[in-house]
Amino acid sequence: MVSKVVKVTNEQGMHMRPATVFSAAVTPFESDVKIGFNGMQYDGKSVMMLMAACIKCGAEIEIICNGSDEEAALAKAVELVESGLGD
Amino acid sequence: MYKGIEASRGIGIGSICLIVERDLSFESKHIDDTDAEKARFNSAIEAFKAETAEMAENIRKNIGPKEAEIMEGHLAMINDPTMAGEMTKMIEAGQCAEAAVTAVCDMFIGMFSKMEDDMMRQRASDISDIKVSLLKILLGVEDVDISKVAPGTVLVAHDLTPSMTSQIVKENVVGIITEVGGKTSHSAILARALEIPAVLSVPGITELVKDKDTAIVDGTEGDVYINPDGDVVSKYVIKREEFIRAQAELKNFFGKETVTADGDRVELFCNIGTPKDAKKAIECDGEGIGLFRSEFLFMDKPHLPTEDEQFEAYKEAVETMNGKTVIIRTLDIGGDKDIPYLGLEKEENPFLGYRAVRYCLANKDIYKTQLRGLLRASAFGKVKIMVPLVTCVDEVRAVKALVEECKQELKAEGIKYDENIEVGCMVETAAASLIADLLAKEADFFSIGTNDLTQYTMSVDRGNANVAYLYSAFQPAVLRSIKNIIEAGNKAGIPVGMCGEAAADPLMIPLLMSFGLDEYSVNPVLVLTARSIISKWTKAEADALAEKALSLATEAEVVALLKESAK
Repeated sequence: MVSKVVKVTNEQGMHMRPATVFSAAVTPFESDVKIGFNGMQYDGKSVMMLMAACIKCGAEIEIICNGSDEEAALAKAVELVESGLGD
Repeated sequence: MYKGIEASRGIGIGSICLIVERDLSFESKHIDDTDAEKARFNSAIEAFKAETAEMAENIRKNIGPKEAEIMEGHLAMINDPTMAGEMTKMIEAGQCAEAAVTAVCDMFIGMFSKMEDDMMRQRASDISDIKVSLLKILLGVEDVDISKVAPGTVLVAHDLTPSMTSQIVKENVVGIITEVGGKTSHSAILARALEIPAVLSVPGITELVKDKDTAIVDGTEGDVYINPDGDVVSKYVIKREEFIRAQAELKNFFGKETVTADGDRVELFCNIGTPKDAKKAIECDGEGIGLFRSEFLFMDKPHLPTEDEQFEAYKEAVETMNGKTVIIRTLDIGGDKDIPYLGLEKEENPFLGYRAVRYCLANKDIYKTQLRGLLRASAFGKVKIMVPLVTCVDEVRAVKALVEECKQELKAEGIKYDENIEVGCMVETAAASLIADLLAKEADFFSIGTNDLTQYTMSVDRGNANVAYLYSAFQPAVLRSIKNIIEAGNKAGIPVGMCGEAAADPLMIPLLMSFGLDEYSVNPVLVLTARSIISKWTKAEADALAEKALSLATEAEVVALLKESAK
């Protein structure tokens, strides 16, 4: 299992579009991708759960990947969040 | 008459088509053949996706790509593993498809509707739409075909789902009334995009009307009349004509220069709060940015924005404006605008305290970071720097010295900037107004901030209901102050703008014209209105009105005169 803490920087936080971009990008990976936020873990491949987490701009989230391609999945996820989730 | 929320402007008069809620009740039963039930569920999901994709396409073609995003969002949600996936799991455990759809959707509706965020709460209504659509498919319930309603129809429904809205034929629907929804709901957004008058959240309206009743929908005021008297109808027929004429007239001002009735050119700029708003300014035909509030950069983040972050944001606005002027106001914090991470002390009198340029000049590192960001952006278009809350000449000189220092640094680093960048001041304090002639020798331009100018001149906190009645830019004291500022600027040969709310006020515009205002900066949606008002007045008429207005002793007299003379 690998993980990294990153800061959400896009203006809107995890709204519909950023959540869609994120889940679409991590879904192809075999590994589980979870988002740790506010003491809870959310399925990173689920738009609904990402939105339900109510992650705002400036929030620090932990991306946790677990599986055969966990390194690649984490690298992709971190890059996405740091680049502002396509916003 | 019934009252609701005015969601889309205009007047609609027509015959009601009541959209009755379909009965979507079902009996929950235990399923033995779960494979067959899963197949039934999967074909419903496929049908839903096909239907939704078609609607998205319809909306994109007939309304616009932005509005189609609502339906695309529905697709993304149904494709989500936790939606269809959870439903499938429940079916595998022996639940019927209807029960599985209801349980999973209700769980998400519950989750989203409790959120504080307005946009997130909107997702609850999206999921509710998905639930209804899926149940209709599973139960084989057909919807009313809205695309087939007769011309002159007023649609009345409990709620207008995006799927219903996507079928609306603009030419046939003259009004919309619903029992739920607010100004930012999907129905409201789509109604505005289609330019159909709409009143939402009228309690119990579906119980109060029947098909073929006559309805008047006043989407400007939020009023609804059912089977009104002839008098009311004739009154609204006139109102409708006036509205249509005014709208058509406003559209005529799109793409035109802003000129007075004498043909004298003035500038009509926009006030914006984020770089993205610059697009709105362009869409609304603004001729530049008269006030770009830079606070968003400092408020949206848990830390100070870096020089690069600021540069990128300013550059985005500057590039969007494509060579048109962008006046950026430097950090205006303190007063009612707090930035937690700066750790400013609570003050007895925050509006008279450590704020705006006072804070910036005491924290030169923070200020220089912003000035460098601004200077770098000035290489990409026409940027002007505007200093808020100036009260004395020393402040303008100090800022100019800092700008000079930043220029030298950038030059040494080989970074490009506009050598001739202008530095102007907001004139929004009584002190600045009284020494406008002195400030005009130092500043490259003035911009009058009427909100603060009124507050400081009248010594009134507009947030305090006991004294708010004194807060008016039409108070003789404020009018004299505005006149003095504009005349001082004109005399010194520097341009004078106004970026407060008063610049778009139809009653104020003729006075500003008489005083000699060069640039009006307004909310983007008011550009065409302001241009239309400006075009109606000649200088001579405005002068005559201003002379009379300034001779009056009270605010009430001034407003009465201006209303009576309004064009």
